[in-house]
Amino acid sequence: MLVSKNLQENTQIIKDTLRDCDDVVYRNIEIGKDKTRASIIFIDGLVDKIVISEFAIESLLNTEDLKSNLGNIKANIAEKASLQHLAIHDVKEEEDLNKVIDFILAGETILLIDGSNKALILSTRAWPARGVEEPQTETVVKGPRDGFTETIRFNTALVRRRIRDPKLKIKTLKVGRRSKTDVAIMYIEDIVNEKLLKEVFKRIESIDIDAVGESTTLEFLIEGNYLSPFPQTESTERPDAVAASILEGRVAILVDNTPFAILVPTTIGTLFQSTEDYYTKWPMASITRGVRYVAAFLTVLSPALYIAVTSFHPGLIPSVLAFYVAASRVNVPFPAVVESFLMELTIELLRESGTRMAGPIGTTIGIVGGIIIGQAAVEAGIVSPLKIIIVAVTTISFFAISNYEWALSLRVIRFIFMFLAAIFGLYGVMLGIVILMTHFAKLESFGIPFASPYSGLGLKDGDLKDTLVKAPPQKLQYRPKFTFPKDKRRYRRR
Amino acid sequence: MQKKNTISNNQIKNLLITTIIGVGILSLPSNMATILDNDGWAAILASGLLIVPFILMIDRLFKMYPNKDIFEIGEEVLGRVLFTVLLIVLLLYTIITLAYGSRIFGEVIKGYLLDRTPIKVIIITMLLAAAYISRTEIEVLGRMATMVYPILIILIVFIAMISIPKGDYTNILPVFNADFRLLPKGILISIFSYAGYEIIVLAYSASDSKGDTLKYVLRGLFIVIGIYLITFFSTLSQLGINQLKRRIWPTIAIANEVDLPGYFIENLDGIVLALWVLIVYTTIGPILYTGGKTLSYIFNTRSHDMFILPLIPLIYILSIIPDNIISVYENMGTILGYMVIASNIAIPFLIFVVALIRKRRSKA
Repeated sequence: MLVSKNLQENTQIIKDTLRDCDDVVYRNIEIGKDKTRASIIFIDGLVDKIVISEFAIESLLNTEDLKSNLGNIKANIAEKASLQHLAIHDVKEEEDLNKVIDFILAGETILLIDGSNKALILSTRAWPARGVEEPQTETVVKGPRDGFTETIRFNTALVRRRIRDPKLKIKTLKVGRRSKTDVAIMYIEDIVNEKLLKEVFKRIESIDIDAVGESTTLEFLIEGNYLSPFPQTESTERPDAVAASILEGRVAILVDNTPFAILVPTTIGTLFQSTEDYYTKWPMASITRGVRYVAAFLTVLSPALYIAVTSFHPGLIPSVLAFYVAASRVNVPFPAVVESFLMELTIELLRESGTRMAGPIGTTIGIVGGIIIGQAAVEAGIVSPLKIIIVAVTTISFFAISNYEWALSLRVIRFIFMFLAAIFGLYGVMLGIVILMTHFAKLESFGIPFASPYSGLGLKDGDLKDTLVKAPPQKLQYRPKFTFPKDKRRYRRR
Repeated sequence: MQKKNTISNNQIKNLLITTIIGVGILSLPSNMATILDNDGWAAILASGLLIVPFILMIDRLFKMYPNKDIFEIGEEVLGRVLFTVLLIVLLLYTIITLAYGSRIFGEVIKGYLLDRTPIKVIIITMLLAAAYISRTEIEVLGRMATMVYPILIILIVFIAMISIPKGDYTNILPVFNADFRLLPKGILISIFSYAGYEIIVLAYSASDSKGDTLKYVLRGLFIVIGIYLITFFSTLSQLGINQLKRRIWPTIAIANEVDLPGYFIENLDGIVLALWVLIVYTTIGPILYTGGKTLSYIFNTRSHDMFILPLIPLIYILSIIPDNIISVYENMGTILGYMVIASNIAIPFLIFVVALIRKRRSKA
């Protein structure tokens, strides 16, 4: 539907479309000596009222030039107004009335002037927003402290500030039939691989859903294998992580209303990286990486191994230890399986209640749950002290894995391993491992093997230098292979 | 970016190694020692080298018919009927190999890890787990092999390391003392340890850079020979020739006899066997995949995954027919020895020779 020359008609259509929307404000003014009628339409709360009053309405009403007879310039009055009389930084013209309505809903102000078939879109968006704060989840000891906020424009700016390259592109799409959420795709044109980029666009454009509230919904919708428990995308709250990732040839997807950016493709290698690694000297960073891999193994396997060893293969551990384990379990009325499930579920309970309750209550839950229940359970003889240690190790390991989604998915599958260990002992654990490894081998993130570099891609091209260990930047001369970057070289010694 | 269904040459190398090395590595040293005494390594080496010309033939064949997979080549060279007959022989061999492998796997796991679990359960769970990977495509097999390969190498290095302090190297001597007229017999037995190399005929056409695939395949074969020789010499030096002959699975036996200083784990055989599960999985999986692909060609279907599950009961029934482990090694082993020669050696040779003749004739 096009904007007509008749102001009355236009406002009527808008009023019909937005009927019963009481937050829409219609302000009618008359400009010029011949009292040309004009309407200003915006949504209360989404706009900066001072800007509208002082720089749009006031300048239109008071301008000497417009006060004269407008008859001769009526046809292009909109253009003249925007060129000469609106002290607003961003003014667009729009002829499609449906788009005009979309702009109103997005927080822009609309100026319709009688006799002109163009609506002027005044950029006045301003709404209550959180400022840039330190990220809650990925804190670093040494490094930048700014984190993303809920406003997409701030977020793109935070990344842009770090890469002042004209090749850094930000393409915006709208997702959601009703929510019409802004989704920005960020990449560096001469690094990113076209096929990857095309795949990202294809997957986002093919989404047909009523609303995308935040980034996680979008993450789930663009994943290749949505039944897999493992994240095939990575999300981060840190603009520095996004900047570093798109410099590696990855693509960042920012969603409005979320302080999280999505990074694709994701591999096991990238899931074990943490921002802190890049702000620490390489030996310590490498050790930390190693610790994180060990933590992943412990999260998945330690309860299962406890079950397997105590119920099936006590002969595997040294006899002194085996005797100790047997002695500590002598009063425990449950088999190791039941004991394990009991304690692992208790710790899940504690984790859940502790996460939901922040601050002092959370601490109380921690103390009551962790110390009192743990201590009491051992003294009452319901569980063995060794099991408490295993539970603690599992949980601490879980928190040592930097990527939260990844850690959670590993935490979930430990129950499957416990089942398998309860049925088949060590053989069951190994069966679980082979199935898990096969699943990793099958999984792909935007066409890139998820298990890279361990499954082959980039293995011979030095990708291990920034996944298994963290080499100093002088040794990371090339961008990682798994993104198939167009510009391969990153560092050159002069 | 990567094309679908392609694997890198390095992945082919890893796939070759992990597919070949499977259940055979446990019994190979004692089998060889029984026939050739201290010179068992000669049969291992000789049968390994015997594979080389066949790999060269396969390579030549794929160079003659570029951009075609083995089924297209076979059909073009031999005609659909004859090729199908040969494939049925190959399929039979595949099924028996799988039955043999999973039976031995079951026996070992039952013997060392799960003495109260019925062997049938162990066999069926392993086959079902292997079905998961064999229903996928070649690139997944390649990725899996690449992940397992370092574990295999660590395991072998570990076995070699633990035998160094306790090993008695005079046990290896005397060399060249055996009756070398027995070498062909030794080769006949040890060639089965190289079964599984046929996976390369499926992997070859999926290589992303076909030029130097041969180099990687040969490197893979030599690594396998090296691994077998290391196991032979470590078991021999550790156990001595007489003990070695009497053990069914000497490789586990030596893991059992070491104590690591400051140890946390007492019986290393449990750990070695646990890792060995991975190695058997990467043998059974790809071979089952080969079976599925063969059936898919015979029945002319686009995908092979529907044939995997029907194969499993067949393999399972075959695997529980022998009464005991001796019968497995004696009867099934002997049948397989001949079948390996028929399928892995005769069939590539036949296709190659006919292809060669055809090319000559078409030129003339």
